[in-house]
Amino acid sequence: MRLIIFICALVPVLVGWAAEHLSPRIDKLIAAKAGGAVATRSDDSEFFRRVRLDLTGRIPSATDTRSFLQDTTSSKRAKLIDRLIASDAFATHWTDRLSVMLLERQKLGKITDEEWREFLAKNLKGKPRWDVLAQEMVGATGQGDERPAMKFLGTTDHHVMTENVARLFLGMDLKCAKCHDHPSVNEWKQAHYWGLFSYLNQTKTATNSKDKQTYLVEGVAMKKVDFQSVFKTEKEITGPRLPGGKEVAIPAFEKGQEFEKPAADGLPGVPKFRPRELLARDLTSKNNTYFVRNGVNRIWYLMMGRGLVHPLDELHTQNPSSHPKLMELLMREFVAHEFDVKWFVREIALSESYQRSSRFPNGVKKMEVTRYRTAHPKAMTPEQLLNAVLKATGNEGWVTKLKAMDNAEKFDQRGYFTGTNREMPPSFEEIRALFMLTYAEPAGTPEVDFIPGLNKALFLMNDRLIQDWLKPQKGNLIERLTKLETPKSIAEEMYLSMLARLPEADEIATIANYLERNNKRRAAALGDLAWALLTSTEFRLNH
Amino acid sequence: MNHIPHNHACGNTEHGVSRRQMLGTLGGAVGFGSLLQPGIAAEIKKQHKQVCLIWLDGGMSQYESWHPLPESKFGGPFRSIKTSIPGVHFSELVPETAKIAHKISVIRTMETKDPNHSTGVPRIQRGDPIDRGVIYPHLGSAVAKLLGPANPNLPPYLWIKPGNGGFIAKEAGFLGAQYGTLALGDGKPPIHIHRPDGVSAEVEAARNALRLKANERFKAYRGASEIDAYETSYAMARQLMARKEIFDDSKMDPKDKERYGTHPLGRHILQARRLLEAGVRFIKVNSYHWDTHGDNFNMSQRLIPQLDRPFAALINDLEDRGMLDHTLVIVMSEFGRTPIINSRLGRDHWPDCWSIALAGCGIKRGAIIGETTKDGAFVNGEGYDIGHLFHTIFTLLGLNPRKTRYRIKGQKLAIAHDDCEPIKEVMQ
Repeated sequence: MRLIIFICALVPVLVGWAAEHLSPRIDKLIAAKAGGAVATRSDDSEFFRRVRLDLTGRIPSATDTRSFLQDTTSSKRAKLIDRLIASDAFATHWTDRLSVMLLERQKLGKITDEEWREFLAKNLKGKPRWDVLAQEMVGATGQGDERPAMKFLGTTDHHVMTENVARLFLGMDLKCAKCHDHPSVNEWKQAHYWGLFSYLNQTKTATNSKDKQTYLVEGVAMKKVDFQSVFKTEKEITGPRLPGGKEVAIPAFEKGQEFEKPAADGLPGVPKFRPRELLARDLTSKNNTYFVRNGVNRIWYLMMGRGLVHPLDELHTQNPSSHPKLMELLMREFVAHEFDVKWFVREIALSESYQRSSRFPNGVKKMEVTRYRTAHPKAMTPEQLLNAVLKATGNEGWVTKLKAMDNAEKFDQRGYFTGTNREMPPSFEEIRALFMLTYAEPAGTPEVDFIPGLNKALFLMNDRLIQDWLKPQKGNLIERLTKLETPKSIAEEMYLSMLARLPEADEIATIANYLERNNKRRAAALGDLAWALLTSTEFRLNH
Repeated sequence: MNHIPHNHACGNTEHGVSRRQMLGTLGGAVGFGSLLQPGIAAEIKKQHKQVCLIWLDGGMSQYESWHPLPESKFGGPFRSIKTSIPGVHFSELVPETAKIAHKISVIRTMETKDPNHSTGVPRIQRGDPIDRGVIYPHLGSAVAKLLGPANPNLPPYLWIKPGNGGFIAKEAGFLGAQYGTLALGDGKPPIHIHRPDGVSAEVEAARNALRLKANERFKAYRGASEIDAYETSYAMARQLMARKEIFDDSKMDPKDKERYGTHPLGRHILQARRLLEAGVRFIKVNSYHWDTHGDNFNMSQRLIPQLDRPFAALINDLEDRGMLDHTLVIVMSEFGRTPIINSRLGRDHWPDCWSIALAGCGIKRGAIIGETTKDGAFVNGEGYDIGHLFHTIFTLLGLNPRKTRYRIKGQKLAIAHDDCEPIKEVMQ
């Protein structure tokens, strides 16, 4: 009898849990298509480094790793995930990620980087909603608290706007469809391009004569846009229309009746019909499956290193999702949870699919990356790499505080790379800029896949900042190591600090051997050992 | 052209290229060499084709170089001199090239479209293809992509230029940053190819051995292509470090220095020869300040000999080394200069009829191509647009510009203007 009561009490809990939690359902659908053995669960070190990088952009300190490894609480992973998502570091890191994804490192418009970042961070500290963010960006006027969101549109080039909205919020790289139906993607039509365009083509900037600020305003839409394929002789026309949606009728007003508000303070009158405002509303609607799928796919990519649909801007039926049922589930749940980015990130992080080891299961030598049978190693972003290099070498404290003198001359960055400028960069800002010049893609290019390069390798190998950071100074890693006696303690401190794991016996032996052979140059030898880890694949990848 | 091209696709290369190819120029790509089927003579030959583009930024006057017309009303003060081709004259400012005119070709009827520097330079260097809404690669990046490195240990595309250098991605256009160029500022390689001060060769080797050991361990149970690609980038970096003497101009023969000239363009063309010898696929040598709107004649008298000597020396040296047959040398600008001499004794921008010089790699020897009006101001008949030149270049490099396509995300893009043809008159 007691047992029955117990079971009765448990069933609703289990059912409720299953309905609520997405992560086990993710795992079920991934397992259904695995097609072979999956990797074991990541060990605590692997998980700890990965989840820290993904959620906060930073590798853990040796101390933090030690205490996580020693923690025997069974729910420690879930607790950690919650703590990290609630941290300011999450907001900072995801500001980097979303900013790079949406602006692609372009300097756009009048909104400063600081204002834009503050806007994103404020959202990320609360409940960031993908639909609301997108709505604020696409519909931005520059009025009110959401003013920084206008940075996304950035330009008054309606074609750039059209292409960015399509690519980043619908997963449609419609550039080709400007001049003709897409040549290889059958469902992407020229009419899609121009339908979006005609939502945006009334947008322009205007300056308020009182506050001198620039705003995005809309002119009066009078007629549909016409377009012509370079392969056809006849013209076509369209009004505002979303892919898969209905064309919006452009209302006709009697002369003088077009405006809701008259012109004032140098700003033109506010028309009654404002197509961009309608776009912001309808584009981001939960009924717009293109929008929902794109949002799901991009957040999944940020966590898993690969989109369910990949490339991210090729969302169409000829390039189907690797896991269609999972995609459907995620879309449904994302909508049901009001596009809550944090909720989604948390559910992914809690899944076994996310928490798998990046090591192959026993006996497996090769597997398809689309099956998620192991964790997919992700390249650290340029921001993550800079943070990780500084933290691993124990120089974060003093380097991030470096400031240029007020009267300092502009630092010659090009000369730094060619050798005509032999100065050290005077500030953290300049150091950051050198890293970005080396590791970031050129402005306007999506940073999605890992593109290693000669210059990137050479920088970590030979840059003089790196060499400097590997000399004992200011309490950094090498200085700490010089104070340790045994190879084991040295190896542990080095591996925990740099790779967030304990060294294996053979790795300790390698260190012992190297130090013995270099006993007359011990500090330098410690630098060599740390250099080897810093330039290693294990360090560079978030695995 | 009346057929509708099926290759009108556009897009970019962000995705869909293999990891190894992805390393491209900046990674010192390893891909293409290994993809070729061994033993196919034509393919091997293609591998050996190399290019040296000498770019005179701003525009060199055709009247003061390859197409002197001292008798005409636009001729200017310089005489014309006989060349090694009977009946053909060059300007007296190019006496050395005049002696080897029988080894090169000159096209005197380039007729291009853009009279502005800012748009003209990229337009010409991209071959001015049909606008498909994408940014085409410059010639060097295109060749790096289409042929890969000639020597798998060296980057395929280097750019020698005055001023600063570094890794310059933007020339790659839609091919993606990895097909950009490694620019040697004043001929110097990036500082990072040098072992840092205080690190001996022995330590360098030892610490790399440590790195490789760590990598081997990490890789043992993993298979992601990212891992290979990352390791390859380091292997390339070390190979380039090991070959850094090819950039060291203190190692150049003093006699060579004297023959090529000690001014930047002379030094840089000599360095280009050394890099061609080392096996770099494509080298661009830039010289600036050819924009002679004022004082054209004094400027030309100073500048043009700085091209003449090293260009002639390069052609002779490539021939002596048996390299001219597979090395294409191109001397050009974004346009020529106006026939009319302006009130400041300058010549302005003139795309309507101008000259370029070419040699090697299947270019005819001693061919002077193109009819102009008597005063040289206009093309008499059909001129050659830059698209024709690109068809010619690609054809000479063993590619078929009618068939070869950039494949981007499964889509195809013509490598040169669809409506142009190779310039047969200049090809052997």
